Amino acid sequence: MLGIDTCLAEVMSIPGALDAMLVDHTSGMAVAFSSASGVDADRSAAALTEALRATTDGLARSCPGDVVRIDDMLVTTDKGHHLLRLLETVFEGPLVIYVRLDRERSNLALARHRLQNISSALTTK
Amino acid sequence: MTRLDTLLAGLARERSTGALRVGRSGTIFLADGRVTYMECAQAPSVERLLAARGLMSETALRRLRDDGGCARLIEEGPLTAGELQYAVLGGVLDAAFFLLPVSGARPKFRPGERHWLGGQWFFDVAGLVRECARRRTQLAEIWPSADVDLLPVRPLARLPGHGVTLSRVQWEVVVRADHKATPLELAKQIGRPAYPVLLAVRRLAAAGLLAEPEPAGLPKRGQHAAAGRPPHDPGAAPQPLGPPVTGDPTDLALLMRLKKALEELS
Repeated sequence: MLGIDTCLAEVMSIPGALDAMLVDHTSGMAVAFSSASGVDADRSAAALTEALRATTDGLARSCPGDVVRIDDMLVTTDKGHHLLRLLETVFEGPLVIYVRLDRERSNLALARHRLQNISSALTTK
Repeated sequence: MTRLDTLLAGLARERSTGALRVGRSGTIFLADGRVTYMECAQAPSVERLLAARGLMSETALRRLRDDGGCARLIEEGPLTAGELQYAVLGGVLDAAFFLLPVSGARPKFRPGERHWLGGQWFFDVAGLVRECARRRTQLAEIWPSADVDLLPVRPLARLPGHGVTLSRVQWEVVVRADHKATPLELAKQIGRPAYPVLLAVRRLAAAGLLAEPEPAGLPKRGQHAAAGRPPHDPGAAPQPLGPPVTGDPTDLALLMRLKKALEELS
């Protein structure tokens, strides 16, 4: 059985994963994180939450008439990929899985597929 | 540090197991010095939230509590182990936000007592205190006045512009707002933890979507400016931070350290 504390290890086993974090989107809190050196988990969680909120806002305006429901968000930089997956839970949420991937060593399609499996093991929705 | 923080830090150091009852405000459950569960009268309990989501009636939950506990809840209930952890995590932090600043109640510790939902997540006391402080700052950054936390939520009858985007919680708040219920009452009605509702209401206030407080309420503000505020508000009557400062050299050393830290911050 996958818990929110144990799922980080699963996320980190995705090929090319550099570090990973679980974020509570409502409060912007880092729930759990892999310890990458030099990362301030609290600040990055809060900032990623704001980025997600801004994206939701932007999408809500760019597709009027739709109710925006983000499944995942992908940002590619010169060094790597940043994947955010939003999990709806029966309780609050969404819970966000964030993973930073090495551009050379990762396979984006595989990473998304693995994240999908992890999230369906984690929640009922 | 408030007295409750100090007391908890002491219990953590002694690796205590049991329940700390804080008057009628709430209870904190510890196992081996770490907090496993917390409930506060101001915030809806995890049981209440699970019931509000239509997962299970509170009676059914009580039956599970007496027979089978969490293992059976996951086995029979419509939620996964991860979701139960997340529910407890959210519930405890929500309760901590309102319970930790409580002062005046005489806490009583009962060794050995456990909560049936405890054991899903373990919080260290310092981490809890830090997260509560972060949440207070977050609220103040969105909208500096805590008045909106206590007053009835009164959304404007007309939108001052052409359109606006609302988050999910804001939507629920606006739909339920009857101009009488306060944010904490709304949280209980819509079955959400109280803190997300406070966040949503402060964002509404910051966006100028709430009506001005009624003028009748204004004269009171001057008088009770500090007294009428919730303890989690930065404008509340100051609670003593650390030991009282005297002229003795250890305190001077502390002040110098503080000064240095503040200088490094800016």
